[in-house]
Amino acid sequence: MESRPLYELADVVYRYGDHFELAVPNLSIPAGSSIGVTGPNGGGKTTLLKLLSFIEKPYKGTIFFDGRRIREQDHHVTREITILFQEPYLLKRTVFDNVAYGLKVRNERGNITAKVRGALNLVGLPYTVFAKRQWFELSGGEAQRVALASRLILNPRVLILDEPTASVDQESALLINEAVRSFREKYGTTLIVASHDRIWLSTVTDSIMKVRKGRLESFDPENLIPGPWIHTDNGLHTKALSDGRHIKALSPPGKQTTGYLRPADIVVATNCPSDLSTQNILEGIITQMTFENNEKAVFLSASVAELSLSCKLTQAAVEKLRLFPGKKVWLLFKASSFRWH
Amino acid sequence: MDYIFNGFLKAVELLASGNPETYSAVFTSLKVTSLSIASSLIVGIPLGFMLGYFDFTGKRQVRAVVDTLLALPTVVVGLLVYAFISRRGPMGELGLLFTIPGIAAAQTILITPIVISLTATAIESLDRRLGMTLIALGARGRQIIVASLLEARYAVLIAVVTAYGRAISEVGASMMIGGNIKWHTRTITTAIALETGKGEFALGIALGIVLLSLALFLNFLLMFLKRRRIA
Repeated sequence: MESRPLYELADVVYRYGDHFELAVPNLSIPAGSSIGVTGPNGGGKTTLLKLLSFIEKPYKGTIFFDGRRIREQDHHVTREITILFQEPYLLKRTVFDNVAYGLKVRNERGNITAKVRGALNLVGLPYTVFAKRQWFELSGGEAQRVALASRLILNPRVLILDEPTASVDQESALLINEAVRSFREKYGTTLIVASHDRIWLSTVTDSIMKVRKGRLESFDPENLIPGPWIHTDNGLHTKALSDGRHIKALSPPGKQTTGYLRPADIVVATNCPSDLSTQNILEGIITQMTFENNEKAVFLSASVAELSLSCKLTQAAVEKLRLFPGKKVWLLFKASSFRWH
Repeated sequence: MDYIFNGFLKAVELLASGNPETYSAVFTSLKVTSLSIASSLIVGIPLGFMLGYFDFTGKRQVRAVVDTLLALPTVVVGLLVYAFISRRGPMGELGLLFTIPGIAAAQTILITPIVISLTATAIESLDRRLGMTLIALGARGRQIIVASLLEARYAVLIAVVTAYGRAISEVGASMMIGGNIKWHTRTITTAIALETGKGEFALGIALGIVLLSLALFLNFLLMFLKRRRIA
C-alpha cells in the first residue's frame, strides 16, 4: 500500500445556505487506503463525499489531490475519481449503454463489450439477461448494481460510495458489498465509503471517521469480534482464534453474535502480567499508532492472530510504556467488557 | 350542401390524379416548414437548454418574455418581417420578399419561442441527480449538454412536433411575406384561403385533407412520444 497522501484538505469550508456548514480544518487520506465515513443523517457525510469527488467546490480552503491544487479544467485528474450515490440515477438507455457510458465519454471504445460483461458479472448481473434491458425494466437493487458496474468499469483511482446499500434489498446489498470488496482487493483502489453498516465498514475499511453537525470527529473504532462463541464449563463463552488461543466472553446472546469491545476497555502492558482477575491476556504486535488531536488520545492497533484490536491510550501512557509499531505488547480485557447488539 | 359534397369528391380526384397545382402547394408548404423548423431548432435548442439549465440573474424575466412570444400573432410577425425585408427596409437588398426563404424567416421568428420555451421546460424537469451522475461518470462540457438533451429527448421532440404543427398551419405571415404566388410561394394554407374566397371549394378541400392528414400524423407522433416519455 502506498502511504503518501492522495487527498489533503486544508481549512476547507462548505456552506449550504445559512443553515449548514461543513468545516474540515485538516484531513489527509493516503493513496490506496480505505476510509469509512459514518455519522448521523444530515451531518455532512454526503457533502464531504461530493467535495472529495470534486462535484462540489468548497466555499473556502483548498483540496489537494496527488499534491496538486485541482482546477476546474483538470478533467484528466477528476475523471480518476468516481462517486456512487445512495439513490442511483440511470440514463434512459439500456443497461449496456449505461455501463459503457463512462468509457465512451473517455473515448475508450476498445473491447467495450468484454469490459461491460466483466463489470456486470462483478455485480452479479448476467450479461445475457441484463445487457439489453431498458432502464425502467430493473428493480431498485438491480438499478443500484448497474450504477455500481458503470463506476467499476472505469477502474477509478478513487471510488467513493455514499451509502450504496441503504435503499436496496438484502440480496443486492450483499452483492454490492462483495463486489466492492473483491474489486478493491484486485485493484488496490482508494475507497471512501459512507455507510451505516458498521460490520461491513469494518471489513472493507482501514479506518473510520465520523461526520457530525458538519465537523469531523474521531470515531472510536469499536472492536468487532464475531462468533462462534462456544459455551464452556466455567460459565464463560470462548471464541477460538486461528492460532489456537481463545478469547473469553460473558454471556453472548447467541452463538454467532458479534461482540463489541471499546478501545478504552483494553489495557496495554509491555510485560506479561500474572495473578490478574482479567480473563483475557493476549499477546500481540503493534501495527499502527495514530494521534487523535480532538481527543488528545492515541489509538493503537495491535494484531492478535487474525484480529486487529484497537486500543485507546493517553499520550502519557504511550510515552511511559515507550510504545512503537512493531513492539510486542499484552492486551488485557475482562470477559464482561463485551457489549452485544 | 351538394357543393360541399361535390367539392369533396373532386378533391379526392385532384389528389388521386396528382393534380400539379395541388401538389405544388403541398411541396411549397413542406419546403417552407422544413426550412423554418431547421433554423428554429438550430437557434432554439441551445437557447432553450441554456434557459433551462443555468441559473442567472434575470432568468425569470427572460422566461416571461419567451412565454409571451408563444402567443405572437402571425400577422404581427408578417408585418415586422415585411417591414424589414421590403425594398425600403434595412434588409431589403437581400430580396427575400415573396420568396420561400422569406416566408421561412417569418415562420422561424414565430416558432423559435415555442422551441426555446418547451426545451427549457424539458431540461428543467430533468432529475436533479442527472447532472451529478454525468459528472461522476466523467462527462464534461459539451458531453453534459448532449447527454442532458438525450435524456430529455421525448420532451424535446414534443417541442419540435408542436413547433412544426404551428408552422404548417400558419397562414397570416405566409400570405403577407409570400404573396400567395401560384407555382412559387403558394402554400397549402394560403391556397385554401384564396380558393375559398373564389368559391372554388374542390382545391380548398383537397388541400384541407392534406393539411388535416399532416395534423393527424403529427398528433399520432405526439401521442406516441408522450407515451414513451411516461415510460
